Amino acid sequence: MTTTKGILIFAHNNEEIDYFKLAVINAYYIKENLGIHDITVVTNKFSYDYNVKNVGKEFIDNAVSNIVFTEKDKAFKNANRRLYKDTSHTNKTLPFYNVDRCDAYDLSPYDETILIDADYLILSNTLNNCWGHENELMMNWHYEDIMSDRNDPSLKRLSPFGIKMYWATVVYFKKSNYAEQFFNTVKHVRDNNNYYQDLYRWPGSLYRNDYSFSVAAHMLGGFVDKAIPQLPIPSLYKTFDTDDIHSSPRKNEILFYLEKPKSLGDFVLCKWREMDIHVMNKWAINRVSEELINHVT
Amino acid sequence: MTSKLTIALEFANYRQTLNIQHNNLKSKVQTLLTYSINGGSFIVDLSLITFIEMLIKRKEDSVVLLDVYNNPIEITDLEDFLEEILSRYFEATNEYHAEYSKLKKSRKVHKLIDLELDDNN
Repeated sequence: MTTTKGILIFAHNNEEIDYFKLAVINAYYIKENLGIHDITVVTNKFSYDYNVKNVGKEFIDNAVSNIVFTEKDKAFKNANRRLYKDTSHTNKTLPFYNVDRCDAYDLSPYDETILIDADYLILSNTLNNCWGHENELMMNWHYEDIMSDRNDPSLKRLSPFGIKMYWATVVYFKKSNYAEQFFNTVKHVRDNNNYYQDLYRWPGSLYRNDYSFSVAAHMLGGFVDKAIPQLPIPSLYKTFDTDDIHSSPRKNEILFYLEKPKSLGDFVLCKWREMDIHVMNKWAINRVSEELINHVT
Repeated sequence: MTSKLTIALEFANYRQTLNIQHNNLKSKVQTLLTYSINGGSFIVDLSLITFIEMLIKRKEDSVVLLDVYNNPIEITDLEDFLEEILSRYFEATNEYHAEYSKLKKSRKVHKLIDLELDDNN
């Protein structure tokens, strides 16, 4: 029996950020670098229609094989607002619609799924190491900022004396009892957010999947830290929203402006090539979206 | 003094960029040296290569190895496995060598990141 495998991306636009377009650009890179053609984007009618109007249906259909529409929870959308930065010079508070990510297990049509953020750019074939794995569920707590001088302890644990923080940026799962249990636990944490925030003491009022996935990992791992295995990749590489993109001069290559840790608003250049990368500055991706697309179409 | 300081700051920028590019190269090598097969994942290194060679010399053709997660993974064709890990190892190290040599020769920031600029700028 052959198992189906595919990529799942959640993409709900807000007033400023076109997550759906990021997902489509990423889908082109996924097809090119992973050779995976089964790509599902979970979105809403507004985000989809906006992109059909702007980039065309054909452009979307050439990259994305399956679109799943969900209804937006408007109360959640209005309540869950976060600070987005386009470098340290510009910031905006906008809705952050991430409430349905824990439905990934139910929404995925595949036996094996890699769930990724729309802004986790697939510039290599590294994630192909996941398919057919013995581990039914994998995600990373280890991450690396590509500007190695920066160190933010708040990204390592939920609170200074709390549990290890897992990143929901990339999650591999197989349809299995264990993975189903895991996602049910994430939903339970989401639905009882205040209680778990009190218990695990994460800061702020923003609902983050990184937190609910970390709590679920801790609970399902028998209340042991780092109990869920990490992805078969050396690290989850990241840039932050205080960084910018200079250009994408070649296929699978991005030149970043990385903000210096001790001189905010001041940058060093960095060439990043043929490794997947989480780019937190969404505006920056949009500014070079034409270049990115030209390399893979 | 001002021009000396400018030169010093430029050099600091160069060193910082060089360090970042070198770290990126190391990360890329680590990525290339991760190999998954039969539901397990392995880091290709000298000890894995030597161990597999030794097993082949002992005429073993099918063995169970512990992968990076300590899962037992059955490898049924050791010759094929060795060929694959050797090829990955040399692909990674050759690329590392080529890129590292380029970095060593680059004396300006834009050269470190392959950005085409007039050298006099």
